[in-house]
Amino acid sequence: MELTVKILRYDPEKDTRGHYETYVVEGDENDRVLDVLEHIKGKTDGSLAFRRSCAHGVCGSDAMRINGRNHLACKTLVRDVGANITVEPMLGLKVKKDLIVDMDPFFDNYKKMLPYLINDSPLPADGRERLQSPEDRARFDESTKCILCAACTTSCPSYWANGNYYGPAAIVTAHRFIFDSRDEGASQRLQILSETDGTVRCHTAYNCTEACPRDIKITKAIGEVKLAMVTGKLD
Amino acid sequence: MGLNRNVSLMTALRYKGQGPFLTYILHRIGGLGMAVFISIHLLASFLGGSGGRFVNNIYENWVFQIFIFFCILFHAINGLRITILDLFPKLILYHRQAIMIEWVAFIAVYGFSVFAIIRTALGG
Repeated sequence: MELTVKILRYDPEKDTRGHYETYVVEGDENDRVLDVLEHIKGKTDGSLAFRRSCAHGVCGSDAMRINGRNHLACKTLVRDVGANITVEPMLGLKVKKDLIVDMDPFFDNYKKMLPYLINDSPLPADGRERLQSPEDRARFDESTKCILCAACTTSCPSYWANGNYYGPAAIVTAHRFIFDSRDEGASQRLQILSETDGTVRCHTAYNCTEACPRDIKITKAIGEVKLAMVTGKLD
Repeated sequence: MGLNRNVSLMTALRYKGQGPFLTYILHRIGGLGMAVFISIHLLASFLGGSGGRFVNNIYENWVFQIFIFFCILFHAINGLRITILDLFPKLILYHRQAIMIEWVAFIAVYGFSVFAIIRTALGG
């Protein structure tokens, strides 16, 4: 089948603003959008820039706007988006070239959530693992699935309006540790999230939940963090 | 170098969010509509006289009333949904159903109200 692919291009050495370029290529309905981009880059225009790594929905490097909505290019099939495909970089992050955005602000927010286990208590008597029941593990299972692709954060209208907002991905990271029974840093993280750029900026547009390629119920996770901030309870 | 991060209003509105994003946008429009209504109302009170009556006629017009009632009712019902889901995050799993219930309630009340406003306006 013939595919018409419109891509928002930007070369910092030549352009002052982005412009669309259209490519007509042969493809199959079972191709992934990433395959189509690889085809264009390999056969038609080698100057096209985009990130990709594992190409199997695990590394999260090829998040982009496909037909107006955030997706991972490697998890999006042509048959799901049609023969006319528009590909643009994610919103709310500076575009470095074509579909590549500057992820530094995103990872800066991630780091602010103290994304590591905090536990200064002595190790258990046997000196081995800090054990956890399956129920306690299930409490934060959803939020461990995050691959930090930024599809959620860059679909959030609050983040578009204010880049200082920590964003859904950072709050999901905080959720992963706040509700971990082995962690003792919940109060620190809740304190960070109670600042003006924290959860208060979530206005439940649900774009994050819809955009997440791992189907994490992000708005629910943010809601649980909000409730923990108000009640002080982690149940 | 690089394109800046600013997202224009038109770009934001073109993002293809789903039903919840529509309610998010309408909630903002509702809030803005109410702010306009209150501003006009205050202006009419301060101006008084013929100027005040002129402004009064704008917001007492039945077309404006249909618009402002949309803003108030949608903002109220949507705000109620958001509050309930904020208080009970476990219900967020059913947010699509909650939005459907919200639309059913809104259309029923708003439809009846618009009918009543138009009937009153045209019937004298």
